[in-house]
Amino acid sequence: MPSIPKQLNFLNRISFNTPKAHIRLDPSRYSGLKLVFQYENHNGQMGARKFWNQYLPTMKFYNPDLQMDVIRIRNSNLKDDTTPCYLQALDKEGKVIDTLQMKNKHSDTIMDEFNQLFQREQIPEDQLIQLKRN
Amino acid sequence: MMIGLIPPSRFQLFGATSRCLFHTATLLKVEESGSKLTKEQLKKREVRRAARRKVEAKKPAHTHPLYLPIPLALRYLRAVEVGYPASQQVITATTSVVADRGNPPLAGNVSLPSPLKDVLVAVFSNDDQQLSMAKKKFRCHLVGGSDTISKIKQGEILVDFDKAFATPDIAQELTSQVARILGPRQVLPMAKRGTVAPDLEPILKNSFGSIPFRQKGNSISLAVAKCDFSDRQVLENLLSVQTAFKEAVSNQKAKRPSILGRTTLTTTHGPGIVIDLV
Repeated sequence: MPSIPKQLNFLNRISFNTPKAHIRLDPSRYSGLKLVFQYENHNGQMGARKFWNQYLPTMKFYNPDLQMDVIRIRNSNLKDDTTPCYLQALDKEGKVIDTLQMKNKHSDTIMDEFNQLFQREQIPEDQLIQLKRN
Repeated sequence: MMIGLIPPSRFQLFGATSRCLFHTATLLKVEESGSKLTKEQLKKREVRRAARRKVEAKKPAHTHPLYLPIPLALRYLRAVEVGYPASQQVITATTSVVADRGNPPLAGNVSLPSPLKDVLVAVFSNDDQQLSMAKKKFRCHLVGGSDTISKIKQGEILVDFDKAFATPDIAQELTSQVARILGPRQVLPMAKRGTVAPDLEPILKNSFGSIPFRQKGNSISLAVAKCDFSDRQVLENLLSVQTAFKEAVSNQKAKRPSILGRTTLTTTHGPGIVIDLV
């Protein structure tokens, strides 16, 4: 078993300590998110990967029915900067509603732009789940 | 600072070598007192530890600080697994086992209401009738006789099946030829395990849709679901795992049967969350 405070921290990071991602996307409008970015960091694709790691679990936690697909493309050629890097919101028929370009952006910037671009509702504080040691 | 405090005449007495020796002597002393217990003391310590493990195992799951109800645990696990390939998103249940010395490891079969994948079965026989029955009626993954065994030995056929059955006429050959390949994967047909019989039809009938599990070390671990299963499917699977584990304990041939302890639910990339299973 791992250290208990460490694990509680890990779980709270998903459900409580990431305030920017405490959002609920309108389920009647959005059915899924699709992220496409490069496997490697080079050519400005690190922010997208960090966004996936830091914010996407929280969004999945508060939007359990939202389908989230991450497609990572392998590209070991440092000079090749043609790999796409975007986030798409899909409606119920699988059509693209909005697209957010993630290249050369910090993960925090991507999250801010995401919150501006998409129709969402902030989750009230009393509905947030925090784990405490009993 | 310390050197400054010691008067110079005294300091000269402690040469570099003598200090070094003193140091080693103290280290040795510490080592002796730390590990050198008498046999009786060691035995007592072992008994004490075993008792502690038993007490831990008997505690109810909800007293553990990492305990979560299963639906909430699944929400966390699905959140952690977001974006990984679907093939990697496997949910595993691990139950700790507290066994007396000499108890045989717990083992058994569990048939999950929503299986993760098809169970692949291999049938070995020199009897054509049995082979054709296995092939046509049950659509077994691998069917063959002596030539198949030699191919497995040479590595031409990969061991990708989960279960294997054989007729008595070929069992001896299997044991002598490929026991080293099939044995470690627990797929060597043996009469003791009930996987060798002259008529394979009833065994095959029972075995389809069930997955074998076995205690390894101090725990039993079993893949119970995938992240895209619904909560209901996961719970149904967990219930059947629970009954199978309890059955394995009641079938165990031991003076004092093993105790099932804490159960954790985890995924490939996720944390282990304590749940209430047994």
